[in-house]
Amino acid sequence: MTEEKQEILEQNKNEDYNFAIDFSTSSAISRISLKFLVFYVPIFWIAGLLPVTFWYAYTAQVEGVGWILTILMLPFAFLAMWFLFIFGCLFITKLFLILTNLIHKPREGIFLAEKGDKDFKFWCLRIELKKLGIWLFQNSFLPHMDTWVFRWFGLKIDFSSHFQDAWVDAEFINFGRKVLIGQGAVVMSSMIVGKYLVIKKIFFDDYVVIGGQTSIAPGTIVGKDSVIGALSQSSYNQVIEAGWIYFGLPVIKLKRNKYAETSRTVITKIDVDESMKYQEEHDANIDDDKKHLVNGGGNN
Amino acid sequence: MSVPNSMRAGPFVPTVLVKKRYLIFYFFLIWISVAAILLEFWWYWQSLYYLETPILFFIFLPLLFFVFYITMVLTSLIFAKLLLIIVNALHKPREGVFLRDPSDKDYRYWSLRNTIKRWPIWLSHHFPFPFLDNLCFKLFGVKTKFSNSLFEGFVDTEFIDFGENVIVGQATLIQSAVIIGDLLIIKKTVIGDNVRIATHSVIMPGTHIGNNCIVSGKTITKIGQVLEDGWIYLGIPAQKFKENRYFEDGIENLITHVDDVEGLQKKYQEVMIRDIHQHRSLKEKRKYKKDVLKEEKLRRERAAEK
Repeated sequence: MTEEKQEILEQNKNEDYNFAIDFSTSSAISRISLKFLVFYVPIFWIAGLLPVTFWYAYTAQVEGVGWILTILMLPFAFLAMWFLFIFGCLFITKLFLILTNLIHKPREGIFLAEKGDKDFKFWCLRIELKKLGIWLFQNSFLPHMDTWVFRWFGLKIDFSSHFQDAWVDAEFINFGRKVLIGQGAVVMSSMIVGKYLVIKKIFFDDYVVIGGQTSIAPGTIVGKDSVIGALSQSSYNQVIEAGWIYFGLPVIKLKRNKYAETSRTVITKIDVDESMKYQEEHDANIDDDKKHLVNGGGNN
Repeated sequence: MSVPNSMRAGPFVPTVLVKKRYLIFYFFLIWISVAAILLEFWWYWQSLYYLETPILFFIFLPLLFFVFYITMVLTSLIFAKLLLIIVNALHKPREGVFLRDPSDKDYRYWSLRNTIKRWPIWLSHHFPFPFLDNLCFKLFGVKTKFSNSLFEGFVDTEFIDFGENVIVGQATLIQSAVIIGDLLIIKKTVIGDNVRIATHSVIMPGTHIGNNCIVSGKTITKIGQVLEDGWIYLGIPAQKFKENRYFEDGIENLITHVDDVEGLQKKYQEVMIRDIHQHRSLKEKRKYKKDVLKEEKLRRERAAEK
């Protein structure tokens, strides 16, 4: 049995080796160096000066306003300080990001993931910088605002898209409208394969749904109205056609996504006659067998 | 470590609490680390606030919070290490199969160790740049290098050896202890140099991963499985997929994508069920069954010995 296995493997070995990426790895940074603290410490310091100034001004007002009002307003003061700090951090991070991008422009491609490679170095740096703002919002009481942070750092996304506790890289991803990414999913626009770093842009069209615990490899293009099932995995540079449900390891077509057509509320206005100018037709996801329950529904 | 929206992974410590009195250690560590920063703040207040104008006090205040954080982690780490030395002197941590019951000493002490380790690890991971995590790993007895990135998965904090330049992917589980039914199995996991472990994989206790290996996404290894050097592994349980030649120089232009994804899925399935679908004659089947039974018997004997 084992001999057979070895034979199969040897046969594969003798063929021309196929360097196509037919597996997946991760986009976690490969090297941690304390150099990143050079950026973190000044960001925290300068941003921290804002709430400190606020606090100084706030306590200086005590004699004018009185103790009771000062203590009553204390919760609001803390909120203000917390958000001053976050927005200060975001602002300075953005400045640093613009500077680093001026020194070296982020680009797609295949690079060496080793010390000394410029693209790799700046990839690590960008990612570390961006992580700060997202982390701050994730750990504050307004976790919904992280979408805004992604926008602030240059990702194309609007507020109709949602990540449900998923990992999403903060560069080289284009979101359409109403994209939903499931719990524990991993969307990575970069991947470390062996000693190479692969960066490729990901496109999500409108109304895309990504299932929980699914990983999306770099270069995946997901068409409109497509669904990728849970616990699946897309392969490098895969194109996912519009209007289909995909599933598997790696994902292949499962069936047509006919839910997409019925899932959205259709409201049409029809001109009937002069006396009754408009008749409104609402089609709001009511099952056929329940239509008689709705007043006048289904018959006209 | 890339930019996660949120995936609350990190060094992992089970929250199994065999006896509630172990929480005393946990609260002690919280108390001592907070006391340390209070002392520090008192010193800072005394030295800078009563100057003619306390402008220096306010200018360095944000920086002080950063120092607070580091002090807090280091203090809790030092005291946790002291506690661990005492606990380990009372009962040495060891590998093996133990009963998951409060009467079992190993199970109790495993829980106690985890309770002690939890606060410093939680604290060191709650900073966007996890530069203190590797220190935690090292102090708590995981062999690792400072440059390794082990923060995006759930990595156990004892009985694990890491080589150089290891990358652990997002939401990956690397375990050295599992609970199966009524048993607690502790076994040393060894991971070699230049290993890349992909997203959503599970590395079970006792796995030996050789150098230059890639463990592909959503792969699960068996307890005590050995992965050979220089291969790409895939499947449940992990099986050889192809040779790993991605560490060679000058192949940037050769790296491509797969066009025929349906064919690739068939290949995946073939690899995953290679063991099951192998055609065997009756003789071979009998021999296989005998081997399996023999192995099981050996395992039971070993467990009984311990």
